[in-house]
Amino acid sequence: MRLENVIAQRSRKKVCREGDLAVKIFERGYSKSDILNEALNQARVEETDLDIPKIRGVSAVEGEWAIAMDFIEGPTLASLVEDENDPRLEEFTDLHIRLHSRKVPLLNVLKHKITRQLTECRALDPKLRYELLHRLESLPRHHKLCHGDFIPSNVIVNGKDKRLYIIDWAHATQGNASADAARTYLWFRLRGHDAVGERYLDLYCHKTKTAKSYVQGWMSIVAAAQLSKEVPEERDFLLRWVDVFDYE
Amino acid sequence: MTSYVPVDTLEKTEEALARVKAAQRIFSGYSQEKVDGIFLAGARAANRARIPLARLAAEETGMGVMEDKVIKNHFASERVFNHYRRTVTCGLAEEDKAQGWRKYYEPLGVVAAIIPTTNPTSTAIFKALLALKTRNGLMISPHPRAARSTIEAARVVLEAAVAAGAPEGIVGWIDKPALEISSLVLRECDVILATGGANMVKAAYSSGKPALGVGAGNVPALFDPTADVLLAVNSVILSKTFDNGMICASEQSVLIHEALYDRARAEFQRRGSWILSPGEKEALRAAMFVNGSLNARVVGQKAHRIAALAGFAVPESTPILIAEVESPEPEEEFAKEKLSPVLAMYRASDMDEAFRKAERMIEHGGYGHTAAIYADPLKAGDRLDEFIARAGTCRVVVNTPSAHGGIGDLFNFKLRPSLTLGCGSRGNNSVSENVGVEHLLNTKVVAERRDNMLWFRVPEKIYLKRGCLQTALEELKDVLGKKRAFVATDAFLYRSGMIRRITDKLDEMGLEREVFFDVEPDPTLSCAKRGAERMTLFQPDCVIAVGGGSAMDAAKIMWLIYESPESSFSDLAERFSDIRKRINRFPVLGRKAYFVAVPTTSGTGSEVTPFAVITDDESGLKHPLADYELLPRMAIIDPDLHMSAPKGLTANSGVDAVTHALEAYVSVMATEYTDALCLQALSLLFEYLPRAYERGAEDPEARERVANAATLAGMAFANAFLGVCHSMAHKLGAYHHLPHGLANALMIEEVVRFNASETTARQTAFSQYPRPRGLERYAEIADRLRLGGDSLKEKLERLLEAIALLKERVGIKETIADYVPNEADFLARLDSMSLDAFDDQCTGSNPRYPLIEEIKGMFLNAYYGKSRRKEI
Repeated sequence: MRLENVIAQRSRKKVCREGDLAVKIFERGYSKSDILNEALNQARVEETDLDIPKIRGVSAVEGEWAIAMDFIEGPTLASLVEDENDPRLEEFTDLHIRLHSRKVPLLNVLKHKITRQLTECRALDPKLRYELLHRLESLPRHHKLCHGDFIPSNVIVNGKDKRLYIIDWAHATQGNASADAARTYLWFRLRGHDAVGERYLDLYCHKTKTAKSYVQGWMSIVAAAQLSKEVPEERDFLLRWVDVFDYE
Repeated sequence: MTSYVPVDTLEKTEEALARVKAAQRIFSGYSQEKVDGIFLAGARAANRARIPLARLAAEETGMGVMEDKVIKNHFASERVFNHYRRTVTCGLAEEDKAQGWRKYYEPLGVVAAIIPTTNPTSTAIFKALLALKTRNGLMISPHPRAARSTIEAARVVLEAAVAAGAPEGIVGWIDKPALEISSLVLRECDVILATGGANMVKAAYSSGKPALGVGAGNVPALFDPTADVLLAVNSVILSKTFDNGMICASEQSVLIHEALYDRARAEFQRRGSWILSPGEKEALRAAMFVNGSLNARVVGQKAHRIAALAGFAVPESTPILIAEVESPEPEEEFAKEKLSPVLAMYRASDMDEAFRKAERMIEHGGYGHTAAIYADPLKAGDRLDEFIARAGTCRVVVNTPSAHGGIGDLFNFKLRPSLTLGCGSRGNNSVSENVGVEHLLNTKVVAERRDNMLWFRVPEKIYLKRGCLQTALEELKDVLGKKRAFVATDAFLYRSGMIRRITDKLDEMGLEREVFFDVEPDPTLSCAKRGAERMTLFQPDCVIAVGGGSAMDAAKIMWLIYESPESSFSDLAERFSDIRKRINRFPVLGRKAYFVAVPTTSGTGSEVTPFAVITDDESGLKHPLADYELLPRMAIIDPDLHMSAPKGLTANSGVDAVTHALEAYVSVMATEYTDALCLQALSLLFEYLPRAYERGAEDPEARERVANAATLAGMAFANAFLGVCHSMAHKLGAYHHLPHGLANALMIEEVVRFNASETTARQTAFSQYPRPRGLERYAEIADRLRLGGDSLKEKLERLLEAIALLKERVGIKETIADYVPNEADFLARLDSMSLDAFDDQCTGSNPRYPLIEEIKGMFLNAYYGKSRRKEI
């Protein structure tokens, strides 16, 4: 493709701007079903009242797939990781909670997705996998919208209307909101933003009147799911989170 | 076992389950003797293998203490065997021939056993032995961390069992545990015996199969000021170090009253326990807990290894690490279950604080499991009771190391040995006890039809024959030693002077006496209360009721209030289905006064019945009271007192007695005792009632026969009770102000036809009433009255004709309409009257159970008479 105005570059994809559109372009060989799934997820979430960029088109040129969507002008919340007292952390948390209150019944089911990840994760000892799968089975099944990668850089403050837009719906599912919150907390901790992570978790539990232990019950699961992504530098950290004992 | 194929896929698991099922089908036919031999063989083999199995478990899991696992294996084989060695688990278990009741035990089928990592071999032995003792198959789902040792334990028991005659393959297992395989086992078995973490237990409960599951414990141990500190501290160390603290019933926290705190702390230290410095405590916290969960690497490890993980050193011999903390809340990680020799220690300023904190720990980590307290039961009784009441657990162990105490038979020999400790509803469990063989058995009871027990009760003395009154009254003084007589009667008898026959005699004998003559017809509660007040002032030692049903009933109520002033009439009048099983029990009467009934009319039978009707004049409700406490102790049937009864009264009370006998004879509660009375009463009444009616005092023989017949009928229905005729007569009389006997007379033929119906499906349910018998019973009466007729139906018709003729001869008209001319009013209140009649106490013993519509139909038939009669 001839789009040159690259605004974000990831390992196997990039995002370019073309006028009012942001176009996410995937490397050749990227799973077609993942790309179509991401576009479908986003189209489904569009049908809620959440502020997200709308899908404008999905195309393939010479084996290179692209998703075109509205371009949202403005900075992300990425910088809030620098200060746990940043007031935007509360807005970030509120937005996460608001997202969880929405239902998108045709999305993939979080529990199925995690089960798949745990089953396929090569880094897991079979004994641990057995325990994790049992633990996952015993956790409550809900059907709330989960973003799957709700992190500050996926929230844009729109320069025009000052509203917060949520982007990157590749991992969206429906499931237990506490798992989604645990996932966000893990992201903070993995990047060493411990204080912000703790503050986020406290805010989340306080605002949703959830016991911290309830969210913590998901930590070993989301860590194991993350382990399946096989990032070598995360391995030791994640294994420590994963190797916990069920009370007897 | 020679060509063993490991069970490691869904298909092989299906096959393994099928093998266990097939073996179990054979096993289910084994005798108790054979089963006990197999149980013994399994227990013996497990016991002999206790050391190698313990070593295998310790090596495979890398947790716990081999030598302690030996104790657990020993416990699971020896103690469990010993406890159940003579327990009946096969077939007939209990029998009560007299009551026709038997209890059998049958196996449940295939038991799926979830085995934990913390006690793999001992739990496998325990469950295998329970299954063998109960003729169940067993399919074991081991934990992958302990699969080898779990399977080895199962194999040891299985091989010994098979050698002793158990079917091949009665115990099976999964060789390679995986979620979908264990889920299959849980779905396909008959019952699940789950021990393990909350997740495993939850999986068991969500499988859709009945599950016996247990869960996590978080045991607080409280030290009361009266505790023996040395015993308490050393018991906690013993328990907490046992298998490196992996027992679910181990103490997790000690809550020590401040009066003992320093001494307890010093004793812990003297025994080598390591009390963490604040820095060590935080280092240990960070090492032991990950996101509020327990780091798997500390589970079942020695104290010094756990300290090393946290980056500090303690002597290798250190038994336990102690963290002094304050909060019992889940945010305080040390307040949770630690599955290691790490103990939280709290200083409590009083026992209430200790109780509160213990309650919180139990709630958030060990709901339903076990709690421990150290106290002197003689000195701390109230506090001990309070703790027992407040602890949200299914076990409370006192002055006992809880790890050993909870599993039973080690520190208390009444608590049965078990390695599966139920946590009750608080722990989402279906059992709250220590799981045992009865949880693996289906109980089958066999109940044979037996007759409902009946009795026959009448007054202890019944005087009869003309002139017996004098003799009977003399006896009150001479034999019974009575001194103060209270006479209750109505104004008519008082003014007519008849009462002087009694009072003169009492005066002559020198008894103090008081006469109450205010009883009205249909006596009211306020009248009875007035009489009772007089009684209370007078304090009689005998009560003499003189008159018809009203006077006798009113006197019974006065007597009741006098004897038991706090009685509630609406409670005592509550309907019962069995007089011996009634909800509200009657007070015992007769402690203050002896009750004598002297009837002056022939009909109600109240002198020999346990009944009395009283109207509450405030609410307008009629309270029919019935209880054998109300039975007069003495009845005096002196025909001289009956001579002057007016014609109408003779007719009404006479036909009342006829209906008593007719209803009692067909009642489902009729017995040979009451039958004889009914038949004799009827034969006397049919012969002599018309004479007594027509000739009155001029025919003393007829008077006497009718008086006796009425009392005979009274004794019959005092025991066999009545039927729907009286139910309807009670309401017809109340709604339309008809005399009681007349109301019965107007209904009786309808009721005879109703009860004689052969096609009715609605027979009253009463054990000794085997089939609808109305028709044959009425025919028996017709035979006794020598009415003739060939078939049962003919005899019935003859009886109906005889009843009609009797009524005619004593001047009773045919229909209700003859007495209640206002048809519109009758019809307007018919529904309500029918419903009330249905709910009458007399309905229950009627042989045909009436529907309200049928009662209504009988009322209509009786209202309009033959011309408009409809079959019901």
